[in-house]
Amino acid sequence: MKTNKKILQGTLGLSLIACLVAFQGCKKSWLDVNPAGNQAATQFWKTQDDATKAVDAMYANLHEWSNIAFASIAVESMGSDDVNKGSRADDATFMNDFHNFSANSGEGQISDFWGGEYKTINFANQVLDNVPNISMDASLKSRYLAEAKFIRAWCYFRLVRAFGDVPLRLHVPKGASEYNIPRTPKVQVWAAIETDLTDAAAVLPQSYSAADIGRITKGAALALHAKAAMYQTLTNKAKWNDVLTYTNQVMALGYTLFPNYEQMFRTNNKNNSESIFEIQCMLVPNNPNASNSQYSQVQGVDGSTGGGWGFNVPSASLAAAYEPGDPRRDATIIFRGETTPEGDVIPTSGGNSTMYNQKSYVPFSLYVSGFNEGCQQDKICLRYADVLLMNAEANNELGNAAAALTSLELVRARARAGNNAILPPVTTTDQAALRLAIWNERHIELAMEFDRYFDVIRQGNAAAIFGPRGWKAGKNEVWPLPQNEIDLSAGTLTQNPGY
Amino acid sequence: MKRIFTISGLVLLCSFFFTYAYAQNTTLKGKVTDATTGESLVGVSVIIKGTTTGTQTDASGAFTLSVSPNATLVVTYIGYAEQQVNVGTASTISIKMLPAASQLQQVVVIGYGTQRKVDNTGAVSSVKGADISKQPDANPVSALQGKVAGVTITNNGTPGSAPAISIRGLGTVYGNVSPLYVVDGVWYDDITFLNSGDIENVTILKDASSTAIYGVRAANGVVLITTKKGVKGGPAISYNGYVGYQAATNQPKMATAAQYAQAINETVTYGNTFAAPDDVKPPIFDNPASYGKGTDWYGQILRNAFTTSHQVSLSGGSEKATYDYSFGYLNQDGLVRNNNYQRFTIHLSNEFKPISILSVGYSANGVYSYSKDAPGGIFHQLYSASPTLPVYYADGKYGDPTDYGTGSGNNFNPEVTLDYNNHRTVDHRFTGDVHAELKIVKGLKFRTSFGGDLGQLEARGFTPVYAATVAQTTTTTTLNIEHTETKNWIWENTLTYDYRYKDHKITALAGYSAQNNRTYEIVANANGVPYVKSGNLYSSYPQGDTSVTRIRNPSDQLHNRTLSQFARINYSYKDKYLLNASIRRDGASQFYPNPYGWFPSIGGGWVITNESFMKDQHIFDNLKLRASWGKVGNSVVPINPSVQTVAADPYLTAIFGNPQVPYQGASINTIVPPRTVWEKAVATDFGIEGSILHNKLSFEADYYNRKTEDAIFAIPVLASIGTNSGNLIGNQATIQNKGFEISITWKDRVGSDFGYSLSGNVGVNNNKVLSVESGKNPIYAGGNGIANGNLATRTVVGEPIGEFYGYKVTGVFQTQAQVDQSPQKGTNTQPGDFIYQDTNHDGSIDSKDRVVIGNPNPKISYGFNTSFTYKQFDLTLDMQGVADVDVYNANIGFRFGGENFTQDFYEHRWHGPGTSNTYPSTNVGANNNSKPNSFFVESGAYFRVRNAQLGYTLPSLSLKKYGIQRLRVYANAQNAINIFGYKGFTPEIGGAALSRGIDADVYPLFATYNLGVNVTF
Repeated sequence: MKTNKKILQGTLGLSLIACLVAFQGCKKSWLDVNPAGNQAATQFWKTQDDATKAVDAMYANLHEWSNIAFASIAVESMGSDDVNKGSRADDATFMNDFHNFSANSGEGQISDFWGGEYKTINFANQVLDNVPNISMDASLKSRYLAEAKFIRAWCYFRLVRAFGDVPLRLHVPKGASEYNIPRTPKVQVWAAIETDLTDAAAVLPQSYSAADIGRITKGAALALHAKAAMYQTLTNKAKWNDVLTYTNQVMALGYTLFPNYEQMFRTNNKNNSESIFEIQCMLVPNNPNASNSQYSQVQGVDGSTGGGWGFNVPSASLAAAYEPGDPRRDATIIFRGETTPEGDVIPTSGGNSTMYNQKSYVPFSLYVSGFNEGCQQDKICLRYADVLLMNAEANNELGNAAAALTSLELVRARARAGNNAILPPVTTTDQAALRLAIWNERHIELAMEFDRYFDVIRQGNAAAIFGPRGWKAGKNEVWPLPQNEIDLSAGTLTQNPGY
Repeated sequence: MKRIFTISGLVLLCSFFFTYAYAQNTTLKGKVTDATTGESLVGVSVIIKGTTTGTQTDASGAFTLSVSPNATLVVTYIGYAEQQVNVGTASTISIKMLPAASQLQQVVVIGYGTQRKVDNTGAVSSVKGADISKQPDANPVSALQGKVAGVTITNNGTPGSAPAISIRGLGTVYGNVSPLYVVDGVWYDDITFLNSGDIENVTILKDASSTAIYGVRAANGVVLITTKKGVKGGPAISYNGYVGYQAATNQPKMATAAQYAQAINETVTYGNTFAAPDDVKPPIFDNPASYGKGTDWYGQILRNAFTTSHQVSLSGGSEKATYDYSFGYLNQDGLVRNNNYQRFTIHLSNEFKPISILSVGYSANGVYSYSKDAPGGIFHQLYSASPTLPVYYADGKYGDPTDYGTGSGNNFNPEVTLDYNNHRTVDHRFTGDVHAELKIVKGLKFRTSFGGDLGQLEARGFTPVYAATVAQTTTTTTLNIEHTETKNWIWENTLTYDYRYKDHKITALAGYSAQNNRTYEIVANANGVPYVKSGNLYSSYPQGDTSVTRIRNPSDQLHNRTLSQFARINYSYKDKYLLNASIRRDGASQFYPNPYGWFPSIGGGWVITNESFMKDQHIFDNLKLRASWGKVGNSVVPINPSVQTVAADPYLTAIFGNPQVPYQGASINTIVPPRTVWEKAVATDFGIEGSILHNKLSFEADYYNRKTEDAIFAIPVLASIGTNSGNLIGNQATIQNKGFEISITWKDRVGSDFGYSLSGNVGVNNNKVLSVESGKNPIYAGGNGIANGNLATRTVVGEPIGEFYGYKVTGVFQTQAQVDQSPQKGTNTQPGDFIYQDTNHDGSIDSKDRVVIGNPNPKISYGFNTSFTYKQFDLTLDMQGVADVDVYNANIGFRFGGENFTQDFYEHRWHGPGTSNTYPSTNVGANNNSKPNSFFVESGAYFRVRNAQLGYTLPSLSLKKYGIQRLRVYANAQNAINIFGYKGFTPEIGGAALSRGIDADVYPLFATYNLGVNVTF
């Protein structure tokens, strides 16, 4: 009996070993485990749905922190004469470095801005490289590609303004040999931007059905093309012809100025008749991470529940720049102590500044705890008034004063809102005087919209206007490249002169 | 078929042999005690020499065995010297064992087995379970601090959290940097589920020849843990418990309200210097002196935290079955009010021996813990909070920082944070193994074990609607639940063959193992849900409401598999010449399609004292030289680094339409290397062990050189590639850890009443990066807690991992004229700011002027453990420390405006020409001053009395009538004395490999005082 048991045990032991050997036979497939958290990239780029998601990701990145918040304030606004740092004296003092032009290549905001734009460019390049190979609805495919070209152009537009020559990536790098590339001269970057915009405008629709509102339109591609051309006019006067061409094309598309200048920026007037390119943001219920725009929050009134951090505040010189009675002053600036049209009382004390940006303001009642204040606010990047003023300037530069005055008057008339006692029509046909009037109109009309700083530089007026704060010609036209990036490139990237 | 029959035949033969051997036996009764303390030893192995017949001592140290006359008993016990006792014709015997008198005679646990320490050729250290359960640590790893040379433990104060442990320095940067824990043969990444009281023994395998048998998981060392098993006899019931409290200790003083008001006014002054004229701010406090002492936020929120632990165990058994059951309860308050951690543990173990050649058994551990969590970031709030802010106003409302305008850096009332915090973490975990061991023929054993780890962790937070202050106001309730499930299993099968022929002794092992590990996590968020007091807030999720957002965070989803074969041979000749060799082949799914690798090791030893020429010397009782070499791997990366995945996180949500609708996007925002292999640690170890003076003094010294090849790093890549992380994960570097360890123990008795032992250990480790794939390009990291995105550490060839890197401060500017003449002119620098060294003498200060400013890798760690017994009293004093290490005090410069200062900073700050040339002004948070620089780097060296315990064992005679075998009471103080120069809260700073030693959390150091009792019935 005992013996039998032992035979049984021995047999059992050996069968176990046999099992193991059998088990090992299937080892190959057994170790091939799918990534548990995410879809493998090799399974992506197969369907129309993948294309849609990739395009969505690209749009989504436009309202991400480094694209829309602090880095943008530092690089695109803080150098302007219209703004001050705001907030507490000792909070985020690095913003003053941008206001005083003492910012160096080690500034975190510089690398944030750089990285933020290239992240969006990567998403655009992913679409442009991979979507063509997906078998899907052909017209949708070409529209997606056109949308991606616009977004890529938009990012390079921001980069070339901020840094001059930048590495031009028009494809996803295929391997390590394509990681480290040198800067492309800005002329070629501008050319690439224009190519993308030409391609995009040829495909994109003028408008979308209700479900797709907020996507890039033909008008946006043309308007950005006009602006891209205008930014090259300082060195290439002939570009004014392009500005005129593209603005005229936009003006034929049916945009109208929104009647109420102040209300144009409120959340209940999103994507209004004047809006051409608007970054779409919303409070997604239960999903604070998807509601990640901090554009309004960082500029919001500090010291009030539902306000914000109080950075990038209007300066005294902006408040003083308005013509008497111009309603745009009150529509652009929240003055401490005022009650907003939406009924928010801004207490006289409790915050750190006397003025705040009203164009990014979201009524406090819309605040939901757990979400960023004002995460509902869209950012209007291109609007019809900007196009009209570009059209006016181009006409003036090309000797069509009358046409210039017509476009300019459209903008002033809307601001006047029927009150003929204020903002008299500009009548001068003297090119220099009219140019000044148009520049002044751009200053006021687009104040606090992140246009002023680079606009003054492209006008050639920066030394005069920003010089007293330390702006130097030959250096401050562009910011330094991020030091981290130069270090990582091991000599492939060069620094801008003067930094 | 024929072969099976042959083996079965052999089995048959053996059984006859055994039957024959049993024939002429007489019954021997014995008792085994500790020669030093007289304590009964439980579970001692007593084997008749030359046979496999044996038994274990029961709970009272007694054993009964059938022996033939003049048999020799081989008595072995982990941590004690092996003894061979000739029975003669006696029917009772008393055996006194010498505890660790000679380390060479110990039996040590090794991978997949045990071995006499004398036969071992690797660097292996053991700690007895009793030495661990002695300390009031919820996690057994904490109790290892200072006990083992070369093992560095960094404790974390949060109740229920696991300490960081590194064995022989830092070799791994990415993924899991911890050693492998093997509990009763089952592999774990952490052992938070284990109650210290259930541990029999902890063995730390340090060198590669010892760890190589664990192949691809062993690069960072292996910690082997044996849990308690039942022993014959009993049932023995024992109770161990303590009660005590924890208190914050060595806390730096914060500025008073008056000092704070003055300091903050100064920050406004300095902040105004470079602001636009129309952006200049008035001082915040009109009359700083009038604010007096103000609120002591630490006093308001922290407390003496009650802690108690109870454990009851029942163990015993017969020849055929043994059992060990225990139940433990731990209740530990956190230092922060309302923070509490409760843990229930259960340990069940049974061993059955249905027939003499087969044993089957299991060991299972269950844990349930319930934690009322402290609010996230509360410690930084306490550090930052304004002392001018009252907790409550006279009308009972909360003090509101907005009323003082002290800014965004401290726009909170910590009391509000605490009062409205409702966060709970509930953990259920079930771990264990079932195993069977079959003796196939004499000397040949087959063992199979199947182990598992089933875990379910649920964390949930609920925020009610409240309006406490302007900044601390909520408009809707929020409920979020994180649910994590772990399902791991491991199946291991080994054949072990013991063979002796004359002077040759061979143990051979072959094995096969498969593992499958899965972790899933899901997060759900909902707003506007009602609060249900009953606790299970699942019920308050709106039923069928699609608005509840559920998110699977990709980095928290894991699935990997391992498939392995291994073999080892231990050979000794005449107990003089030793050879150990092993090889393991592992396949790890994380590296598919190249999953397989080989991990060999070899070790040799020479027991000099067993040589004939040493016979007549009287100096050395034992002396052994050993050397080993091995290659091991580390596969613990979350996912296959070469598999590119699709990002689809909520941040990638696009919005379109009127009305607006969110659309979850997905795309690719990473780059991956074409091929990744696991890290390999190739290590060499030379050791010497010995004892002198009749084994009173024993020593062990090791030199090691461990190279981690193909270390996996996340290295920063050009931002223009547009990746989300800015990193590329792959094989990037070779890292070297080189050093030596020395342990010396002196153990003696004076008369019959006084016994003592003194033991010291020291480990010296030098960490160095030997090569980096990126060539000379350094890897910058460590931005956590550093202002404005600056990076504070650098990893570069020829230097240690993650050394602190920044500007060297040479002084403080006293006047504007001094600034204007310096390279820092025109950089928004003002008097009171740091003067930086112009390292490259180019007349300007920029990133090229940065230098190495400190090393966060502890070079020296040491421990000094003593124990004394006098009659019924026992005293333990454990001291421990680290030296030659730096800490980055990030709290000083990490400021958003309005944060408080330490009194040290306030008193030494620059506040006018001539006031200080070392401390800056209160403008220390400004960009120029807060960038990584040498001012923030301080020595992290410390020395502490880790544990002091005084015990008294009641005389056993007086207890017998109550049925009590042993009753001991004790008082214990942990961390009671700490000596360090660091100006922050505690120099014990952990952190990820590339950002180690950056203190941004300000968790206070704490001491534990407790009274306890050990009873055995």
